[in-house]
Amino acid sequence: MTGWIEALGHFLGRSAETTGYGLVLLCRTILNLPHLFTRRRMRDCLNLIFTYTLGSFTVTAVVALFTGMILALNGGDSLASLGQENLIGRIVAISMIREMGPFMTALILTASLGSGIAAEIGTMKVSEEIDALEIMSISPVKFLVLPRLIALTLVTPVMTIFAAFIGILGASIVAANNFGVTWIAFSNDALENLQLGDVHIGLIKSVVFGITIATVGSTQGLLTRGGATGVGEAARRAVVITFLLVIILGYYLSWWYLS
Amino acid sequence: MIQLENVTKVLSGRTILSNLSVTIEEGETLVLLGRSGTGKSVTLRHIVGLMQPDSGRVEVLGKSLTETSTDQLAAVRSQVGYLFQDGALLNWLSIAENVALPLLETHKLAKSEVDQRVKDALREVELDQHGDKLPGEISGGMRKRAGLARALVSHPKIVLHDEPTSGLDPISSSIINKLVNRLKTTGITQVLVTHDMNSAFEVADRIALLHEGQIHALENVDDFRDSADPAVRQFLEGQISGPLSRGLLDGSSND
Repeated sequence: MTGWIEALGHFLGRSAETTGYGLVLLCRTILNLPHLFTRRRMRDCLNLIFTYTLGSFTVTAVVALFTGMILALNGGDSLASLGQENLIGRIVAISMIREMGPFMTALILTASLGSGIAAEIGTMKVSEEIDALEIMSISPVKFLVLPRLIALTLVTPVMTIFAAFIGILGASIVAANNFGVTWIAFSNDALENLQLGDVHIGLIKSVVFGITIATVGSTQGLLTRGGATGVGEAARRAVVITFLLVIILGYYLSWWYLS
Repeated sequence: MIQLENVTKVLSGRTILSNLSVTIEEGETLVLLGRSGTGKSVTLRHIVGLMQPDSGRVEVLGKSLTETSTDQLAAVRSQVGYLFQDGALLNWLSIAENVALPLLETHKLAKSEVDQRVKDALREVELDQHGDKLPGEISGGMRKRAGLARALVSHPKIVLHDEPTSGLDPISSSIINKLVNRLKTTGITQVLVTHDMNSAFEVADRIALLHEGQIHALENVDDFRDSADPAVRQFLEGQISGPLSRGLLDGSSND
């Protein structure tokens, strides 16, 4: 019994410590924003934007396409039983732009880029490269975290818009082939019912998710200890924690928008 | 130049350094010896401010690192070069870019001066033909030399070497020793942590033996080699039993 309580206390203490470290890291990164406007940091940032976009493009497109198709298939089936299949457009568009697009993109980027950031920085930590930077008086926050945070904050909304577009495209194909809803009817219904607020909340969510992915990945990377096992553990933790945060933050942002 | 005074450090419940005191004079090359886990690398990390002592005082270049601001620490570090065990090079930058990194990030120098300094540093470590390669494309010995070039490019007053010859073949070790000896002639103060006795005798002015978190013996090279101290003799002769094994054999060692 005592051991169990001790383990719980240890877990809670460690979680609080990691959360505090992550929040301080985020604040320090924001305070370092002026350092972004140097040629070297800009170059780093643009390289990362290019790498991140290219690295997640295909998987996002495939997942978004099939998510839109599944959404249309299921939604269309229910609506068809009520003779309302012409409403597929609005349902798919609103859910892809407001919820599914940001959420799905965040999960894809967490798995592909968030874990990668944790593993990359974690490897640098265990191979003493972070110590080397500190000895050279190069801030790891400025040199490593800032470009990654900015790159992900910019890439996530772009990939979210892309995912939403591809998802809607996939849904329109299913709507046309399976339920006889023409492209014109589908897009008219979608555009007439989609509000600017839906786009805004989708973009706000994607920016928050991008910041979350970069911060958690960097935090876990910088807290890595103990060789290859530690690096693997850091990547795993980054994915699990980001998934949880994306779901929780997603809920509260939706609640805030709807209220 | 470097002064550690009654430095104590406890890590994960283990006392690594226990009231350790040592002074390293300007231009001196001190070699730190000791069994694994006796706190040699921890001592180096204190000298460069990567670790703070739990108690005691560390003074480098006349500045106390235990009561210093971030800016002062940066000022001290700008005069200290550190060679890590595996070079600690950033694997996405070329060797030349790695060497240029401290100059580009923390010094406001013209590009031509940066290029010239990088060229000189790479020539110093005989890597001037390999500047365009990535760290993954060169051998371990070359990576260490590249790490040394990066440590030297800022023209430091102090260079700290963490096991500079570990894992190297005898020829590569000799190249590193030659470089350390060449640095001695320029008046740079150096501290080396090593297990390589040949290297220690070749480069040291004084040798210190760490045991149980303290400096157990501190002698010049000849006196150390001829020392009658049982712990020094055990270390030099690699005997399994002796004062250095006492903690190990009865289970109370820090190792």
